[in-house]
Amino acid sequence: MVAQRKILNILMGAILPLAVIVLWEVATRERLVSPFLLPPFSRVMVRLWQDIVSGEIFSLAGQTFLRLAISYSVAVVVGVTLGIMMARVRFVRWVLDPVISIGLPTPKIAFLPIFILWFGVFDTPKIVMAIVACIFPLIAGTWSGTQGVDKYLVWSAQNLGATRRELLLHVIFPAALPQILTAMQVALPIAFIVVIVTEMLSGGSGLGGSMIEGARLADTARVFENLIVIGLMGFAFLRALQILRRRILAWHPEVLQEKN
Amino acid sequence: MTNTKIKFENVEFTYIPPSGRPVRALERLSLDVAENEFVSIVGPSGCGKSTLLYLLGGFLPLEHGEITVDGRKVSKPGPDRGIVFQHFALFPWKTVRQNVLYGLERKKMDAAQRDELAQKYIDLVKLTGFEDSWPAQLSGGMKQRVAIARTLVTDPDVLLMDEPFGALDAQTRGILQEELLAIWGLTRKTVLFVTHDVHEAVLLSDRVIVMSARPGRIKSTVNIDLPRPRNSEVTRSQNFASYCDEIWGLVREEALVASGIKT
Repeated sequence: MVAQRKILNILMGAILPLAVIVLWEVATRERLVSPFLLPPFSRVMVRLWQDIVSGEIFSLAGQTFLRLAISYSVAVVVGVTLGIMMARVRFVRWVLDPVISIGLPTPKIAFLPIFILWFGVFDTPKIVMAIVACIFPLIAGTWSGTQGVDKYLVWSAQNLGATRRELLLHVIFPAALPQILTAMQVALPIAFIVVIVTEMLSGGSGLGGSMIEGARLADTARVFENLIVIGLMGFAFLRALQILRRRILAWHPEVLQEKN
Repeated sequence: MTNTKIKFENVEFTYIPPSGRPVRALERLSLDVAENEFVSIVGPSGCGKSTLLYLLGGFLPLEHGEITVDGRKVSKPGPDRGIVFQHFALFPWKTVRQNVLYGLERKKMDAAQRDELAQKYIDLVKLTGFEDSWPAQLSGGMKQRVAIARTLVTDPDVLLMDEPFGALDAQTRGILQEELLAIWGLTRKTVLFVTHDVHEAVLLSDRVIVMSARPGRIKSTVNIDLPRPRNSEVTRSQNFASYCDEIWGLVREEALVASGIKT
C-alpha cells in the first residue's frame, strides 16, 4: 500500500512537467511558435546529448559548480561561526547587529560593479559576491537558533560538569542545528542565483556565461540546454541538503514522525 | 540532628524580570539539612521554592547570605549537587545511553567501566531495552526516569529535585514516587525535594518545610515520623492522613495570602 501510494505520488508529480514537454514539442513542430524563439524540446535534448558526449557541458557546469561550492562553503563556515559568536560574545553582537540589520534586506547584487572594480572580472568577484549575498541569512539564522536554547538544557549540562567550551559544542550548537540547517537551505539557492547572474554579467564562462553567449549568437537551443542543466543542478543540491538534514536531525521529532 | 549536609544562612534573592518591577523571592531564609535526610519543600505557587533549589544548584547568583554543602560555599554549578528538573531537560540529540553517559565523560574511568555503570543505572530506572531510543520517542514518565539515571550515575553528594513528577499523569506519578522511595533506600542520598503535592511530600520525606507566600520564608517544619522503608501502603494509615491535613492547612493559609484573598 505504502509503496503503491509512493509510485502514485511520483506519477502525479510527473503529469505537469510531461504535459509541458509534450505541449512544447507539439507547438514548435507545428510551427505555432517560431523555433528561433523556442526550439523543439527534442532539439534541446539532442544538443544536450552532444555536449555530454563532447564533455563541453561538464566543463561549463563544473566551472559554475566550483564557484558555487567555494563561495557556499566559505559562507557556511564563516556565517555559522559569526552567528554563534554573536550569541555568545557581547562585543561581536554590538559590532555586527547593525550590519546584519541593514545587510539582510539589502539587495547585495548591487555591489557587483564595485566588486568587479576591486577584484577584477575572473573568479574572485563572483565568489566574493556569492558569499556576501548568502552569508546574511546564515548569520541571522544561526544567531536566532543559538539564542532560544532552553535554559534548563544549559543548566543540566553545567550541572553535569560541562565547561564553557563544552557547553557551546555539546548544547548550544546542537540545539541550534535545526535552524542552522534551515538557514543553509535558504542560503544555497541565493548563492546559486548569484553565481549564475555574475557569470551572465561579467562573463568568464560557466553556465551563466554560456547562456548569455548563446543568446547573443541567437543560439536558443544552447540557452535552453543550459537552463535545463541549471534546473537539474538546483534540484540535486537542495535534495542533497534535505538528505543531510534528515541524517543530522535523526533525533528530531520532525524526522522521527516522518518515519512512522 | 546529626551532621549538617546543606546549610542556608540568611539567604535572600530578588528576581529582576526583563520588564516590570523587581520581585522579592526569598527573604532571610535559613535552613539546615542533615546528611542522608530527605527534605521536601512545599508552599504556594511563586513562593520561591524552586529559586531556593536553583541557588543551591549554583545556577542563580547568590546576592545575600550563604549556602554551604559540607561546609564548602556554593558558587557555581557542579556535579556534586545533582539536579532533576520538572521538564526533564534531556539532551534531545543524545540517545538514552548517551544522556546517561554525559556526566561520566568527565570522570576518570575507562570506557568499559563507564558503559557498565550507565547500564546499571538504566536498569535501575527500568529502561532496559530503551538504551538506543531518542528522548522524543519516550513518554513523560520514561523521560524523567532517564533524567534521574543521568543525575544519579554521577554519584552526587546531594540530590535536588524540582517538582520532578509535576508534569506526569497521576498513575505515572504514583509509580515513580514508589520507585524513588526504593532507589533512595538503596543510595540514601541527601535529598532536597520541591513539590506542590502535599501527599507526595509526606510520602517521601523525613521532614516537610512549609514556605510562606512571597517573599518566601520558612513558615513551619513538620517532622514525618512514619516507618521506613515505605511504599504506598503507608498512605492508608491514620498518621499519614493527619500529616497531610496538618501540612495542607498550613499551605492553604499561605495560598490564600498569595492569591490576595487573605492578608
